Amino acid sequence: MSQTSHTPTAGGDHPRPSGAVQGPQPRLRLATYPSLLAMPALLLLIAAMGYPLLTVTLRSFSDPAWGLQNYVWFFSTPVNVTVLLRTFSIAAWVTIVCVIAAYPYAYLMTAVGPRLRLVLILCVLVPFWVSGVVRTLAWVILLQDSGIINSVIRLFGFDGVKLIRTQTGVVIGMAQVLLPFMILPLYSVMRGIDLRLVQAARSLGARPARAFLQIYLPLSLPGVFAGAIIVFILSLGFYITPALLGGPRSTMLSTLVQSQVLSLLNWGRGGAMGVVLLVATFVLLALAAPLMRQRHKQASRS
Amino acid sequence: MGSRSRLAGFVGAAALALLAAAAHAQNAPPAGTVVDGSLKGKTLTFVSYGGIYQDGQVAALKEFVDKSGVKLLNDGPTEIAKLQAQVESGNVTWDVVDTDDFPPFVHCGKLFQKLDLTKLDISHIPAGQVGECSVPAMNYGMVLMYKNDKYKDNPPKDWKDFFDTAKFPGTRAIDGSGSPLGGLIEQAILADGGKVDAMTPADIDKGIAKIKAIGPDTIFWKTGAESQQLAESGEADMIIMWTGRAMTAVKNGAAYTPVWKDWLVVMDQLTIPVGAKDTDASYALINAYLGKKSQEILTEQTSYSPINNEAQPKVDASVAAFLTNTPDHAKLGYQQNIKFWVANFAAASDKWTALMAGN
Repeated sequence: MSQTSHTPTAGGDHPRPSGAVQGPQPRLRLATYPSLLAMPALLLLIAAMGYPLLTVTLRSFSDPAWGLQNYVWFFSTPVNVTVLLRTFSIAAWVTIVCVIAAYPYAYLMTAVGPRLRLVLILCVLVPFWVSGVVRTLAWVILLQDSGIINSVIRLFGFDGVKLIRTQTGVVIGMAQVLLPFMILPLYSVMRGIDLRLVQAARSLGARPARAFLQIYLPLSLPGVFAGAIIVFILSLGFYITPALLGGPRSTMLSTLVQSQVLSLLNWGRGGAMGVVLLVATFVLLALAAPLMRQRHKQASRS
Repeated sequence: MGSRSRLAGFVGAAALALLAAAAHAQNAPPAGTVVDGSLKGKTLTFVSYGGIYQDGQVAALKEFVDKSGVKLLNDGPTEIAKLQAQVESGNVTWDVVDTDDFPPFVHCGKLFQKLDLTKLDISHIPAGQVGECSVPAMNYGMVLMYKNDKYKDNPPKDWKDFFDTAKFPGTRAIDGSGSPLGGLIEQAILADGGKVDAMTPADIDKGIAKIKAIGPDTIFWKTGAESQQLAESGEADMIIMWTGRAMTAVKNGAAYTPVWKDWLVVMDQLTIPVGAKDTDASYALINAYLGKKSQEILTEQTSYSPINNEAQPKVDASVAAFLTNTPDHAKLGYQQNIKFWVANFAAASDKWTALMAGN
């Protein structure tokens, strides 16, 4: 999956990753120990992720007393299990919606000229710079029963649809917030696909649909997987959007963690919930990994 | 000003003399006063919920700051988990913390100091509002607001009607922003024909079942702003709202009317964390805050009701219509059984959370 950037990019919107090293740096040491380059990120991860994660995990076994009580509690309380499953199902739906919406968009970004591409990139990034809360509140106004979408539907004489405080509403809102995380990895992979391969398939007699399915799609799959994993994992931890756009039946696990920790001060239970979510995510990714790897190989072979 | 505060001083001293029957040497200055320059060079961190509320509190404390010479820092929003982390690590940076109803009772002695009432003048606080670890910071209420054009000539009159979906169809919106609403659960039990004077944990289930029975379209709003938005856009037919938000919504044109019968009494609390750096300075701040003038400023700026029974804030009619301490409103309030909810806090919270999560 080499991302050769032989396509000229517009307006320097893609700083080369190598740019960081090109300054008047003592080249020798970095060249000898390339891993040094990862140090700042690594230190930040250890301080801001590793240590808190360790504390949370420890507390899930030790608060209020050593043992598995918090995990026993988690799995013996029906609401936790229901909400855990719901969290995964909402995350899956959001991922599916994102793939469907992002794929054609990212393709379009590769197909148009530089100026239009800049516009398309801005369309992705500008909402991204707006706070998630603000965007979610905008969705409240769009989706509510007396909102714009329902007013338009009623204008044409149909009954309104229930959007806000439903799972559908939550999925719509979350997909919009997360769309950039799907579009950007997809675009960066699609940009590297040699379109002459598709032309070759066409010249060998493949119909457009076949050329797409057999050549282009497999080559773009790494981007789909990368984006899907990011979106899926980010979805699992969503808090604001489901709280504002959802009703009781779209509560996600983060809300339950919040109420355990912030209003009940049950750090142990909150920690256990976090650990269960984390482990469940790892298991799911481990199950999906072989599938992806296989596709990956196929893709690089073709 | 001088003679006035001296008069207040006599009244306060008289009240405190009564309290001081215990052998304590009496030295609490009257509420609302502070010794000039007494806190020069000191810093106090006051923690509350931000927004116009905390701005109003800071305005109410301005005289205290000017006179005492203290440097007042603000922090927030109040988060009990954060406070717990401070107390456990032994590094408490908060000096006075504004909390909601229950925490000072649930964590009394553990996170919040038992208050030494000889250091505070509590003689003007409404009866029954001083806790072992807290004094009230202000009062407000939760009222049932109904949509005018939905119910027209036959509006709901009390909580029974709120729970009666046959006679009063329509969507309901309930405060789902935090702790269980003890008062609402009690009203649900009453509407179900139960009794609340000898509640048991089993009654919590009954009350929650009654709330659940309102139906799947019930809205649980998460923030005060959201409840206001629901009213202003007419999304729900009956909304349980905080009085401050209800007032603002009506000011902004929401066509809703409050039902005052058995409005649920709520208060914020002022507390001093365990391990606070300078307890006497914290007491001085609270004592100044409880004063008549401070409370008038607080109400004028925030529309929350004062907790000094002598305070006479100058507010316009639209604000006065939602104050809870006016004689008409005060007598209709319903006070939840704080003791019961504190004793059963964990069970009630678990059940409430399950209700919020659609189970």
